[in-house]
Amino acid sequence: MARTGILSLGQSDPKGGSHTRTPLQRFQLPVKFKPIGLVPFFGFVGLFLVWPAISLFRLAIQPTKNSDISAMREAITGDYLDSFIYTIKLSLLTALLGVLLGSLLAASVLRIERPKWFRNFMTSFAGVAANLGGIPLAFAFIAALGTQGLITKMIDYFGVNLSDAGFRISNFAGITIVYLYFQIPLMFLIMVPAFNGLRASWSESAASLGAAPWQYWRYVGLPLLTPALLGGFLLLFSNAFSAYATAYALSSGGARLVPVQIRFFLQGNTITGKDNLGYALAAWMIIIMLITMTGYLFVRRRAEKWQQ
Amino acid sequence: MSALEFVNVSKSFGDVNALSNFTIALEQGELVSLLGPSGCGKTTALRIAAGFETSDTGSILLGSTNIIGLPAHQRRMGMVFQSYSLFPHLNIRDNVAFGLKVGGVPGDVRKKRAEEMLDLVRLSDLGHRMPHQISGGQQQRVALARALATEPHVLLLDEPLSALDAKIRVEVRDEIRRLNRDLGVTTMFVTHDQDEAMSISDRICVMDNGVIEQIGSPRNVYNNPATSFVAHFVGSINSLPRGNTRVLIRPENLVLATHDESAQWRGAVTDITFVGAFTKIAVVLDNDKSSVSVLAISSQIDHNIAIGKNIGINEEIR
Amino acid sequence: MKFVGKIWPRLYIAIAIVFFAAPLLSMARFAFQRIPVISLGKDNLFKRWTIDGLLTTLRDPEFAHSLSVSLKVAFFTVLVLLFLMVPTTLWVHLSAPRWRGVVETVTILPYVVPPIALVVGVSGTYRSIAPWFLASNYSLVPFYAILAMPFTFRSLDVGIKALDLRTLVDAAKSLGASSGRVMWNVLLPNLRTSLINAAFLTITVVLGEFTIASLLLKRTLPMYMAQAQGSEPQGALGLGLLILVLTTILFTLVSIIRKKDSTNINAKNINSGMVP
Repeated sequence: MARTGILSLGQSDPKGGSHTRTPLQRFQLPVKFKPIGLVPFFGFVGLFLVWPAISLFRLAIQPTKNSDISAMREAITGDYLDSFIYTIKLSLLTALLGVLLGSLLAASVLRIERPKWFRNFMTSFAGVAANLGGIPLAFAFIAALGTQGLITKMIDYFGVNLSDAGFRISNFAGITIVYLYFQIPLMFLIMVPAFNGLRASWSESAASLGAAPWQYWRYVGLPLLTPALLGGFLLLFSNAFSAYATAYALSSGGARLVPVQIRFFLQGNTITGKDNLGYALAAWMIIIMLITMTGYLFVRRRAEKWQQ
Repeated sequence: MSALEFVNVSKSFGDVNALSNFTIALEQGELVSLLGPSGCGKTTALRIAAGFETSDTGSILLGSTNIIGLPAHQRRMGMVFQSYSLFPHLNIRDNVAFGLKVGGVPGDVRKKRAEEMLDLVRLSDLGHRMPHQISGGQQQRVALARALATEPHVLLLDEPLSALDAKIRVEVRDEIRRLNRDLGVTTMFVTHDQDEAMSISDRICVMDNGVIEQIGSPRNVYNNPATSFVAHFVGSINSLPRGNTRVLIRPENLVLATHDESAQWRGAVTDITFVGAFTKIAVVLDNDKSSVSVLAISSQIDHNIAIGKNIGINEEIR
Repeated sequence: MKFVGKIWPRLYIAIAIVFFAAPLLSMARFAFQRIPVISLGKDNLFKRWTIDGLLTTLRDPEFAHSLSVSLKVAFFTVLVLLFLMVPTTLWVHLSAPRWRGVVETVTILPYVVPPIALVVGVSGTYRSIAPWFLASNYSLVPFYAILAMPFTFRSLDVGIKALDLRTLVDAAKSLGASSGRVMWNVLLPNLRTSLINAAFLTITVVLGEFTIASLLLKRTLPMYMAQAQGSEPQGALGLGLLILVLTTILFTLVSIIRKKDSTNINAKNINSGMVP
């Protein structure tokens, strides 16, 4: 019944109605009440997303008993600051490599025309891999590159000991490689439509106007791909920055990443009275994500303008 | 010396011969249309000239140099596509100045030149707009200005009017003709629309299945079609019995002879379509039931010509 | 692009395939071969392969329990999400098009709040005012619905855009259909691809989600796997692989359905995955 109401209230053209009008349909809403149908949506998001998120900030800034500085302040000092720097570095690096390698993969796959199923297969696989994260992915990499991993053993056979070289699946280099497993496919999925959006008539126009291939890429191709590249970078950054499960499983909970740190506070593995440090760390995460996603929205709005 | 010359150019895609021994010479300043149904090879010929396709055999002479093997960006041929060829991230002025920019022309010079070109297509007040903010007809005029800004040896137009509305189409068509005359730029115009080709061209090259059927002035192609294909493709034509053979006569070269009992053909009127100054009358001939269409001046249609009436038809004596 | 040969792309793709296949193959070997890596050699490469580990895990009652929790949560998440998002998206397109931008921006908000931050916020708020809520397994449902909201909205939005909704609704009503009938007999069948697409993606998200479940201490499938890694590692990895294969099948199904329907719905913009 609720849905019926929603539809009939939306009838904006009185002549468009028919002989089977319900009393509701005869009742036309003034324009300013149009958003009324969005109340359940906004209510749901408010209750289960916005309220918990905003409460974090409230909890983070409330005064602490045995500390002079606020939790928000403490969350970006000392070890916590190092954690943030570590996480941001990891996210930047995996985003950058993901953008580069994923775009290259998209360009390469689009060049292969012959077996027609190949492109579809790669897209399907990328869809799975981009959403792969968490426990199974960590398992796979432990089996491959862990100290007892198959690949570790194979590389060892050729005389290179990863362990002696300082490589651990749970350290910076290790997590970077594991994250690339979902970052590259995600970028691939972003770039395939972007490359396909480059019309042949643009490169041909450029050539007929005297532009050498490099000039086409410099002045036309790259600027047109910039929104996708930049948007993809921001998305990949946020993807890595908010990832938790993979890093947690790789390091058995010992990683220096901010999300893993937050867990300590929630589980009470810390000195009492510092509860709101967990809230503060989470609040800072939201602030960083807010900046990232605002940038993303901005880039996307710009790109939509061209696509008309 | 011709401005652009194709000599025995052939191209096949797999088993399909897209172009066979294509030979034509365009004089300086001439506008030549390649006319034919889709798949006749006209676009292939244009793209080979532009350097976007390679030919299997033959040569293309620009002046006296063979440009086969020269990459597209070194050929100096301006090209206009069917649609969507303006760079969407550049404003109109920067689009027009693009060729000058990649050619190394300094900023102030190319800005001035872009303004001149926009003036030429009468869009000087739109220079700051983005492509998506102007109409399709305006976009094609900008594409023309952009292609002409670098002073190309030849202008290549690939169905530039097909994506436009009927009225705008005529406007842009006239614009192309005017630019061709004013600037004296040799132009190759690909189209499947015979009206377009007729109204714009110095010469028309009618093509079918990768082969040239006829090259000639619009008048010549229309009045003296070299092959049955040309006769049928360019304008509409009737096939009427005469003795043991059939003759091809255009609808406007037939006259109605209502009271002439000894008319060359007789038949029943099946349809009358009023198209303004002219009226099209469809007739089914009595002797072999073939359909014939006659184009008569509307003011000469009287009450004797009505659906179902039997009338006579004669070939117009000129 | 045509100025570069075709050797480099092929080489690069080959390297990529090795990178993506190696972990999965290693995982399969670990799960199904009873030989430690240390003593693996040429002579025993094909020996002692078995699926016993996986079978032991599948027989574990704890596994059955976690699977049933995950499936129930997945079912209700899909239900809640569709009941919330279908009317919302239709309303935006029919009655309040000016609000489309706002709604779209709001649906991207879940990306702004990382799951770990969300769950911290949730326990900071709900634990004190509604402890009974967090005690239930079904407390996961609204938060999973939030996680799946971005691509659900996008999928529906694209589907509806391709429909010419206004005309469809007016045509149905002019034929005398009530609003309910329009919804049930006209709109939903036409949005089938979008709905299935969104539902399948939501299921994969729910079956893989670890962060929120782990911090709210819910015994879902990923939680079980993480815990089984210690006690029965072969079985845990086998299970991980099994879920991976099932996910791949689910994804392939989605893409087949999408392709089948793309004749009547222009579905090219319904990106797979969670690309917003």
